[in-house]
Amino acid sequence: MKHYGDITAVDNIELEVGEGEFFGLLGPNGAGKTTTINILAGLCNKSAGEVSLFGNDLIKDYRACRLHTGLVPQDFNFDQFAKVRDVLVFQGGYFGLPIRESMRRADQLLGEFGLDDKADTQMRHLSGGMKRRGIILRALMHRPKLLILDEPTAGVDVELRKTLWAFLRRLNSSGITILLTTHYLEEAEALCDRLAIINHGKIVADDSTRNLVNTLSHDSLIITSANRISEEAVKLLAEFQPEMSPDHEEMTLIFDRRSTDFDAMLQTIREAGIRVSNIRAPDNRLERVFLELTGGGGNA
Amino acid sequence: MNLIGFFTLLYRECHRFLRLPNQTLIPPVITATLYILIFGYSLGSRISDIEGVSYLTFLIPGLVMMSVISSAYGNTSSSVYIARFQGNIAELLVSSMSNFEIVLAIILGGVARGISVGICVAATTMIFGDVTIVHFGITAFFVIAVAFIFSAAGFITALWAEDFDRLSVFQNYILTPLTYLGGVFFSVEMLPQVWQKIAMVNPMLYCINGLRFGYIGVSDVALGTATGLVLGLSVVMFAWCYLLFRSGYKIKT
Repeated sequence: MKHYGDITAVDNIELEVGEGEFFGLLGPNGAGKTTTINILAGLCNKSAGEVSLFGNDLIKDYRACRLHTGLVPQDFNFDQFAKVRDVLVFQGGYFGLPIRESMRRADQLLGEFGLDDKADTQMRHLSGGMKRRGIILRALMHRPKLLILDEPTAGVDVELRKTLWAFLRRLNSSGITILLTTHYLEEAEALCDRLAIINHGKIVADDSTRNLVNTLSHDSLIITSANRISEEAVKLLAEFQPEMSPDHEEMTLIFDRRSTDFDAMLQTIREAGIRVSNIRAPDNRLERVFLELTGGGGNA
Repeated sequence: MNLIGFFTLLYRECHRFLRLPNQTLIPPVITATLYILIFGYSLGSRISDIEGVSYLTFLIPGLVMMSVISSAYGNTSSSVYIARFQGNIAELLVSSMSNFEIVLAIILGGVARGISVGICVAATTMIFGDVTIVHFGITAFFVIAVAFIFSAAGFITALWAEDFDRLSVFQNYILTPLTYLGGVFFSVEMLPQVWQKIAMVNPMLYCINGLRFGYIGVSDVALGTATGLVLGLSVVMFAWCYLLFRSGYKIKT
């Protein structure tokens, strides 16, 4: 529970993340995602409630909790004038690593992440993508069991996003539990085993990614036609709320997965004169779940 | 206790000012030299001895203490404020260090700068005046304790300030006037009766005269009173810093 005056930012949420899970926390702007992870990391004092990390109480056993937790914040909160290696080595030191071990780990991580040639560069001179990598490395210096990432791929290009995804998957498969908030539902669907959706400080859904997607009562299909789709076909398929692409070659159909007679649906498509060359599901299924649960507005 | 974390942070605080000598170590030496040239040599020759010592000799401990105070204050106020401003104070908040360790390491960083600058200024003043330290232990105690008090004051101001303008409020409106009126350049006996009484409630007077006693053996105040005040203020200021930091005042949401 977290109050800011009369505003309740996090409202009695109950959340359990299993060891080794890749867990996603989604919600619109201001839903309470960052407040929740900041409470876990020690950047926010909770107003009430209990938090336990790997069996340790967040307040009483704060040293153990912090030794197990690494935070990757959304902002580049470095000393901008510090050199990249120094940022990492000092961070290791704050977690009790002897200087030699800290330097060894820093060099190892810089090498793994392709930043070894920037080790002696000041943080402010790095590109956005390099800073993003640097901020993840900083959180990994003390080898946490739980890595918390607050929208780690916000503002990075597609190539780096894919690289980060691969790296996060690798970390997760090595046994590190990952708790991720993200702006990109595609990212959550691609990476997370389990998702919680938070809205107005409350958890409105908490389930496996697969189950959440399957909870959709309505689903959609995109049909590609070998011939031009006619206006008559649109009328014939009206019960499926067809949406035509501008080139009249693709059509999106929405159906109720529980009551639709799929055989009859395919028969109607054929009667409409459509020569189906491809059928695919849209990419943004999770977005529809999200919009249904959060009332339709806002960004993730 | 996370001793490695504590010493890492202390090292970082020292490294911060040692790598910028043109901002941190050399300017106080130049300022003290200018004061000696203007007040000690030029005007001081017209001022008679104070408590049996020349005005130049009387002036030197005050200049050393003034440098120690402003350097210790400046170190923590800029370090903590910039860490808040850039957000990298979070590196400490998420670490396995306790609030006590963090606060103490940062304040001792300011003390280290105060001592370093004090030594540089004292060494430079030896060129101008034949001054040898009378009571080394008392001198060291007052340098360290007063640096601690004002390093803690810088810490509190840096937590409180919302912008650079407010950061300078304490230094410009409180610290500098009290230091100048605290007996750096004069003995309280040189003031009219009314001002003497007002000067006695200025804590700077005790800081400066405590050091002056250790340095040259003369003081306007009783050593016991100065020692008690400085020790008491050290405890109060540290407790204030610790409680503010622990509460997350302006650093945690």
